Amino acid sequence: MPDLNAIRTEAKRLLAEGVVDVVVAFKAGETPLHPQPAFFRSADEVDQLVYDGLCQNNLATFLTRVPKQSKVGMVVRGCENRSVNALVVEKQKNRADLFLIGVPCEGILDWQKIVGEVGETVKSVKENGQNLMIETKAGYQLLERHDFLHESCKRCIHPNPMSADILIGEALQEGDPNLARTAVETFEDQTIEDRYAWFQKEAERCIRCYACRQACPMCYCEECFVDHIEPRWSESGATPAGMQGWHIVRAFHQTGRCTSCGACERACPMDIKMTYLTEKLNHDMREKYNFEPGLDAQTQPPFAAVTLDDKNRFSV
Amino acid sequence: MPEKPKIALFQCRWCLYAPADQEWVDTQLPENIHLTKTPCTGRINPLYVLNAVQGGADGVMISGCLPEQCHFKTGNMAARRQLEEFNDFLDYIGYDKQRVRFVWLDLQDRGIIQKQLAAFEQELDDLGPASNLVTRVKVAEGGQNA
Repeated sequence: MPDLNAIRTEAKRLLAEGVVDVVVAFKAGETPLHPQPAFFRSADEVDQLVYDGLCQNNLATFLTRVPKQSKVGMVVRGCENRSVNALVVEKQKNRADLFLIGVPCEGILDWQKIVGEVGETVKSVKENGQNLMIETKAGYQLLERHDFLHESCKRCIHPNPMSADILIGEALQEGDPNLARTAVETFEDQTIEDRYAWFQKEAERCIRCYACRQACPMCYCEECFVDHIEPRWSESGATPAGMQGWHIVRAFHQTGRCTSCGACERACPMDIKMTYLTEKLNHDMREKYNFEPGLDAQTQPPFAAVTLDDKNRFSV
Repeated sequence: MPEKPKIALFQCRWCLYAPADQEWVDTQLPENIHLTKTPCTGRINPLYVLNAVQGGADGVMISGCLPEQCHFKTGNMAARRQLEEFNDFLDYIGYDKQRVRFVWLDLQDRGIIQKQLAAFEQELDDLGPASNLVTRVKVAEGGQNA
């Protein structure tokens, strides 16, 4: 875990020296399992800043929701840094207006897994290397950290922020790209009926709350396709066609843009699995175009970078 | 007589066909084929394809121009990238890949659209009617888009 004091010192310096107008980070939430995103606008507020493995949101989401001219400081992990890069590519923010405080990420903890293991009376969670020390009403419990990681974090390839302005803590070892590949290939190896059955089972629990959309840094459209009245692109009720259509098109709009942070899945109140959809699209982008979203702040995603050279790529 | 497979045909209005062929498409298209003309294949939003699929099309055919013959220079290239990926994606979640067909047609090639449609119809016949992802409630059953 990176040193919290070092993060606070840096955030204080940024605000005190006027480098940025606001620092986006986390503060303690109502329970120890839910730190919440917070905006720090002056140096004395920064003492409330926290950072631990339970910080679930992808903070890059807020980049498109602060005034466009404002200078923003942000505590970023690997996935958040990639999301910021992808947003800079799409001209949602000037990179010069950003100051990124990078922290290498050891993976986000899934609070639901923790609650499932120890019950709901969690008083505090201490992370110590590869262990978790959970204090509950009943007493202390020692858990293995890796078992409680979020699924998309287990498959993470780039835990280190690659273009942060300052890196706090030691850079970690890069993840294994094969894990993401095998996840997709295992799903593909099932029969088509099994795949559809799985998709149906997941998609049709949806209650159309759009928490996945709100949690996603790349979903920043002023008006989403499901909110259109005329023409109505897809059914907006919780009908089978509407629910399936939402899941298909939400995922497809992330092609070449999704940074696999898994914020959509963490936000879902119905515990619907959905990263398997975007993983497939990311997998295809890697295989077909050798492209990974967010690795730098210049390269356009494949769907935007169409040229006439493409004619050699396809058979007629 | 068994019902013929339903096909949604998306046609780019620039690419197609010799005048006689275009006339055939415009006036004599069989009833099981539903024609949608678009300004360019690049205009075909994946949502169009999805709506056709959900609405019960057994197959979707997208006809566009050859490379370098696009009226808008790279519209067909963009469409290929997007729609082929969309097709792969639909296959991943259970809509057979063979049910979406792309044909990139040469203006000179007379009668090709009839041949392509006939071949596609034959293949769809062998596959049988689509059932996966066909979820839209029919208007007749009281489902004017919920």
